[in-house]
Amino acid sequence: MVNTVEKKPSVKKYQLVNVEHWSLEARRLALVKGIILRANDDVESLALILNQAPLIAVDFSNFDDGRSYSQVKLLRKAVGYKGEIKALNVHIDHLQFIFRSGIDSYELLPEYQKYHSDYAMDFSICYQAAENNIGLVEQHKNQESSIYE
Amino acid sequence: MYQYNDNDTQFLKQRVGQFSKQVNRYLERELNDDQFRSLRLRNGLYEELHAYMLRVAIPYGTLNAKQLQQLAYIADKYDKGYAHLTTRQNIQFNWIQLTQMGEILADLAKVNLHAIQTSGKVVRNITADPLSGIRVDEIADARPYCELIRQWFTLHPEFSWLPGKFKIAINGAKFDEIGLEFHDLGLQLNVNDKNQLGFSVYVGGGLGAAPMLAVKIKQFVAEQDVLSYLESVLRVYNLKGQRDNAKRLRIKFLVKKLGGEKFAELVEEDWLLSRNDSALKLNLPQLNAIKKDFELPIKPVKNTATENKVDFNFSIWKNNNVIANKVSGYSIVTISLTKLGSTPGNVAAEELRQLAKLAEYYSLGEIRTTKKQDLILPFVKNDDVFKLWYALKIYDLNSPHNNTFAHIVACPGADYCSLAKAVSISVAQRIQQRFHENNLLFEIDGLNLHISGCENSCAHHHVADIGLLGLNKGRQSYYQITLGGSTKYKTVLGKKIGRAISVYKIVDAVEDIVNVYLENKAQGENFSQVLKRIGIQIFKERVYG
Repeated sequence: MVNTVEKKPSVKKYQLVNVEHWSLEARRLALVKGIILRANDDVESLALILNQAPLIAVDFSNFDDGRSYSQVKLLRKAVGYKGEIKALNVHIDHLQFIFRSGIDSYELLPEYQKYHSDYAMDFSICYQAAENNIGLVEQHKNQESSIYE
Repeated sequence: MYQYNDNDTQFLKQRVGQFSKQVNRYLERELNDDQFRSLRLRNGLYEELHAYMLRVAIPYGTLNAKQLQQLAYIADKYDKGYAHLTTRQNIQFNWIQLTQMGEILADLAKVNLHAIQTSGKVVRNITADPLSGIRVDEIADARPYCELIRQWFTLHPEFSWLPGKFKIAINGAKFDEIGLEFHDLGLQLNVNDKNQLGFSVYVGGGLGAAPMLAVKIKQFVAEQDVLSYLESVLRVYNLKGQRDNAKRLRIKFLVKKLGGEKFAELVEEDWLLSRNDSALKLNLPQLNAIKKDFELPIKPVKNTATENKVDFNFSIWKNNNVIANKVSGYSIVTISLTKLGSTPGNVAAEELRQLAKLAEYYSLGEIRTTKKQDLILPFVKNDDVFKLWYALKIYDLNSPHNNTFAHIVACPGADYCSLAKAVSISVAQRIQQRFHENNLLFEIDGLNLHISGCENSCAHHHVADIGLLGLNKGRQSYYQITLGGSTKYKTVLGKKIGRAISVYKIVDAVEDIVNVYLENKAQGENFSQVLKRIGIQIFKERVYG
């Protein structure tokens, strides 16, 4: 898929390393700040290491690859990760999904910098429970009664 | 049927707005071809040989007369005056201009129709039994569940960028006639020993170049847990499904690679984390509200039998195309759109308009679509069946083809589709013509013929009694023949009988096969029974001998 953008600047800017290069020593020396996950990293088996990092980044430069969404879900649900999750190299057409996925912050690809983030606020309604439903009418919730217990 | 509320209509408008913006960005070259392809497909828009093709969703094959009228309007205004019914109960337009897409989607939204997720690597339209709610042997109407699950996976934040397409079918009948096992995921409604309603779950079926039957990975998931369970299936697929080989994207390849048991285990492990999450429990009050929408609009009337008119053509049609509704006094009428010389699945705007009127008049405004490219009027009073037939006759819509050999299922093939390897439509027409000349067209029953123009298998040829798969050798169309496929009670994949046959000889080959069938058929036997009894060799010898 299309990815002409150099990924390294962000990785460098946020002091990110692949999970196997993470060490608490480097962290202590302020050489690294977080981990950049690859789409095929197995989140659950890396839980111990991932939980040490204050920042985990996921890369969305591949337009059609949605693995990161499930990785983020597992980071929150299975790993119990409480730190910041940042999406890098984001296409603007992914924002509506990123907003609701459990990701805390994002950095658009340079070609989308001119867009206001309102661009992706097309919907006021959602049909499913997700990590973040703020500001949306949740159609799946019945108005009168609470969710099935 | 499901009644849209203000949120639903608002959502459709917002979706139209979003896609219109994306089209504009593409026209201004801000989106590249690959990016736009991914975005337009999830709005049902394909780039075909001559124009764009738009696939409109008919969720679980239920629509109303007003929607049919609007589809006719769209066929006239934006297309060349016709539409095409697909084998997944949807409807397609073949001559769409990109610049008119915003307008078209807005016109669709006016009657609560859309093209959301009718293509692309997402959860697609959910199919169901076209006789849902009106058949006698039913566990429960599948459509309220289809609607809830459809809503849940609409623009889902986690599962909108899957490795491949994901087709779900839900069956509420006791017996499976919708082919659960050839879907990426099939749900069979079920009741457990505590009398709770739930689903058996089948995963990993699919047709295409490597047809596979799904594996049952769960005997029973209670209805309130179905959303979290489906999410777990999709999560395992999303993370582990192959993405780097375009021929191995579907979940069936993952299930095959891991084995059904291992796959089920991974789903189960993931499900442990979410099955007790109250936010993911199916909302029973919402389900009950939707169930109310699907309550039958008819009550039993004094049981009058369908009139027997002394009209030979009516008798044949009634025999083939009319069955009893579970509500006494009512019939279910199938409209076969397969009159001699027609294009399988195609329906003219004028025909849609007339059918909408007839549906309003005779079927309380409800219409169903089927995987055999038919339309069904579900609520026809027995007293009205003859009048309806008479009206259909005026518009030449009374073909008595249901369950006969005259009813051929075919994809658009190389006349329209950019993926096709061979033509489908003209082969269907030539076969119809041959048997018409021999005066056999309506007399042959117990077998069906499906023609797919390429391995993508849109006409479901693998599950037909006689399946033709189009290939090209050099610049010529060839057809590989499979025999013995079925979706009756159980999905069975047909077997190849030998080398592919050229477009010039394919009609002869089909005639040979039908002749062997007719020569050996005992009273009341259908094709698969004959095939089982006499074996495939006799057919091979006749075709290649």
